[in-house]
Amino acid sequence: MLANGIYTLWKKHMIKMQSAEVSGFVIQPILWLVLFGVGMASLVTTSGTGEYIGFMAPGIIALSALGGATAGGAVWQTERLRGMVREYLVAPIPKLSILGGNVASTVTKGLIQGIIIFVVSLLMGATLSNNPINLIGGLAAALLFTIGFSGIALAFASLTDSPGGFHTMILLLNLPLLFASNALYPIKILPTWLQIVAYANPTTYAISGIRDLVYKTSTFPGSDIALWIDFVVLFAFAILGLLFSQYAFKKSLP
Amino acid sequence: MNTLAIETKDLKKTYDGKIYAVDGIDLQVEKNTVLALLGPNGAGKTTTISMLVTLITPSSGQAKILGYDLTKDSKNIRKKIGVTFQEMAIDDQLTGQQVLEIHGKLYGMKGSELKSAVDEIFDLIELQEVRNKKVKSYSGGMKRRLELGRALLTKPEILFLDEPTLGVDVQTRAKIWDYIIKLKKEYGMTIILTTHYMDEAQSLADKVEIIDHGKIITQGTVEELIESLGSDIIKLEISGDSASLVKKLKALDFVDQVTSHDGWIQVGVDNSDTRVVPLIQSVIQQGYSISNLNIKKPSLGEVFFKYTGRELRE
Repeated sequence: MLANGIYTLWKKHMIKMQSAEVSGFVIQPILWLVLFGVGMASLVTTSGTGEYIGFMAPGIIALSALGGATAGGAVWQTERLRGMVREYLVAPIPKLSILGGNVASTVTKGLIQGIIIFVVSLLMGATLSNNPINLIGGLAAALLFTIGFSGIALAFASLTDSPGGFHTMILLLNLPLLFASNALYPIKILPTWLQIVAYANPTTYAISGIRDLVYKTSTFPGSDIALWIDFVVLFAFAILGLLFSQYAFKKSLP
Repeated sequence: MNTLAIETKDLKKTYDGKIYAVDGIDLQVEKNTVLALLGPNGAGKTTTISMLVTLITPSSGQAKILGYDLTKDSKNIRKKIGVTFQEMAIDDQLTGQQVLEIHGKLYGMKGSELKSAVDEIFDLIELQEVRNKKVKSYSGGMKRRLELGRALLTKPEILFLDEPTLGVDVQTRAKIWDYIIKLKKEYGMTIILTTHYMDEAQSLADKVEIIDHGKIITQGTVEELIESLGSDIIKLEISGDSASLVKKLKALDFVDQVTSHDGWIQVGVDNSDTRVVPLIQSVIQQGYSISNLNIKKPSLGEVFFKYTGRELRE
């Protein structure tokens, strides 16, 4: 019944997912790539825009995963505030499957957005790694990061009863996570205090993993974090995100 | 064989340990009957239903639904009940068809079983033509019918309806009443409904529990409750202290019962046509003046007034 509940709710959210929901959240990351990426590339490299796009795309993929997680959290909040969740609560499915279904659909939305950005980055000239296993590894890193962030978004959506409040919380995280990480510049050029913040930021590890596995750049250095560390941190982040969402979810039930 | 669908003993729900939303409710509901919980807003009807459908946990007391313990066997209970909520809980971004399909799947229905159940429900609630339209295009009455259909999809043994006709137009209301009567007759369903419409309780319920301040203040069949008042009701508005007058009126041999609240005295008599004049004479003889008088055939409204001293208004 757990799997059935998760699958049914996931499917419901996929049916409900409107094109506006995806496009609304994906436009901002695309603008980052197109406007910021192109401008910045001409400043930092002479070997073509694609080089810097390849460097920057992992950060923007992380940013778009955040957008997808926000969309999923907003759906959960609406269902909760409008009382639709009561239909699930009186159904013979475990309560955990309600959370599970929401996590599954939220993660799916995050990944869809990440993949859109991935495709855009290729169109803009980024070079891919030749090894298909690396691509799967990159997808795994993106998945773990998205799970962790979906957990946070769902937890916020459980804890706040105001749709405005929820979006404000997510927006507050949005830019610091991007800037205080290795998304736009190599970590080593940052001042020490910002390096500390960047190393404490889980986004750094998602970017590091995706960057090392998926894209090939010759002028930009790879990440200086070992791949296994990326995955250990991302795995822990995913677990913590899920635990946080479970705690908040339980608090939000009648 | 146990003939009780629901049995509760001293069921309570408190918030913060001191506010009693439900303050010790005892219910015994026979299978294949319609029970109405009648009471004003805030009386504890929705809290009672919420406990019985396993949505919230009781603070104390016991309850058995279809023989299952409410707190230990909630999963088995959920499989066998259907619920509609007071505030509509339907996703208007889906089509009617999708709403029913998703609901069925949550209950483990699939394939042809689900398909034929969905078809049957759209026939019953007469929404075949709009089944593939988004719910947001439905009128309020259509949404209510869809919600009722959703609760019926899994063929529940007990159906809980929390204010099923709140805010719907007259035609929809009549339709929903028809469905309820049909469900009891043809499907042998047990139905628990809450309402603050007296005519609804009177038309549908085999038994009525009147609830106020979280307690059942009286219960019985509609006929029993009305009979307890006498065959006719005369209501008088008088000025001054009515306590001694009530005593005098009670002593009259044609008076069945007398209650008084806020300047109004409600007198149950065997026949209002012949008793109204002697009654007025007795009141005036006691030195009271009557500023208002009306005569009614008793209904649940008068029963409610008798026990709570308040009119039950919408």
